[in-house]
Amino acid sequence: MTDDDTTQIPEPDQPPEPEQRRMTRPRDDRVFAGVCKGLGRYFNVDPVLFRVAAVALIFFGGAGLLLYIAAVLLIPNEGEERPESRRRRDRALAVIGVVLLVVAAGSIFSHGVFHAGWAFGPFVFIGLAALGVWWLVSGERPRGDARDVLRSVVRGIGVLIICTALALGGAWLAGAGGGTAAAIAVIAAGAILAGAALEGYGRWLVLPALSLALPVAFVSAANIDLHGGAGDKQYVPASAAQVRDSYRVGAGRLVVDLRDAQLPPGDRPLKLRVGVGEADLIVPDNVCVSTSAKVGMGAVDSFERSNGGVDVDWVDQPPAAAGNPRIVLDAHVGVGRVLISHFRSEDFGPGYRKFYRPLPQPGDEVNSGCEVTHAR
Amino acid sequence: MPAKLQLGPLVAGLGVIVLGVLALLDSTNVISLGFGALAPLACAVAGATLLASGLTRSG
Repeated sequence: MTDDDTTQIPEPDQPPEPEQRRMTRPRDDRVFAGVCKGLGRYFNVDPVLFRVAAVALIFFGGAGLLLYIAAVLLIPNEGEERPESRRRRDRALAVIGVVLLVVAAGSIFSHGVFHAGWAFGPFVFIGLAALGVWWLVSGERPRGDARDVLRSVVRGIGVLIICTALALGGAWLAGAGGGTAAAIAVIAAGAILAGAALEGYGRWLVLPALSLALPVAFVSAANIDLHGGAGDKQYVPASAAQVRDSYRVGAGRLVVDLRDAQLPPGDRPLKLRVGVGEADLIVPDNVCVSTSAKVGMGAVDSFERSNGGVDVDWVDQPPAAAGNPRIVLDAHVGVGRVLISHFRSEDFGPGYRKFYRPLPQPGDEVNSGCEVTHAR
Repeated sequence: MPAKLQLGPLVAGLGVIVLGVLALLDSTNVISLGFGALAPLACAVAGATLLASGLTRSG
């Protein structure tokens, strides 16, 4: 038997080495950075479950967003090998994310879920809104690593600032008496947008143009008049002679308390104008109120009756009872409410808002100075 | 139709022009613009813009 005659005894079949499973963020079919899809693939679970959980966690003090960012830093993209220095940096950022999560958790447990949610909510909301805005104007879905997503957020915030400035500027111009100029600006913006669309680059202009047009149209529809300044104004005339024909506030609360005015019998016209806010008229029991009120968006609360919504047009013109004075009220509020009552909210204690006052008792909140009072 | 034309933004632009014209007529007291008219118009502009964008995308 020679060496050549020796037969090779085949080795028994070795079980194949199990393929090492590695969690990665797939590049296809991802919504943002592919974290949920990667988790779903790794755990063999529908990624929708992770997406729902992530969105739900966002409202728990923003924990979902922080977790997502940490996951983006920790889980590499599919087919991506990160250099050691990059991995170290990402790990450091992830640690910061975890610390933030711990702070969030501490806040939740010490102040309650809703307090924490309110504290983080605006930042989460602004971040998501910025991402959505950038997506809308550029057509680029937020994808890539954390730096790319952050870049999209920053650009989105820039667009948001521009759109907010356009919206506030247009609304202010329309409300401050420049309605015609604001409308012409809107038409010009529409024309520029249409022209740009013909040239193939109109997408960027859609959001800024709408940001200008919609507030101007809103202010026009609500008939908001910002003349009269901003803030709360209270008038408590001590005699009939001190009662003015009209009162006005641009934005804020206007209170006209006529309980000490000792109005003589007969009609007394009165105009109340509020752009955005509340117009309160308080009258004594013996004064009848004839009301014609228009509210663009909001409500009219007249004694025991109320009506709310958009384009509210309230007319209630009862005659005064014999010997009683009558206020002939002409009230316009753009956005807010008209409130006619025998009481002031402050009568119920410091800081007590009318909204929270106890329900009126039978007989104490009716237009009692009129000939015919409304039944409850 | 030119290859560059973006139908969605074009419709949005025309909608913005309509909104501006209505605001102009309201400010000059030719019409009285209310939410009863504005709300459906705004919805129509948004809907037409989305529809036009979708039609463009689907080729």
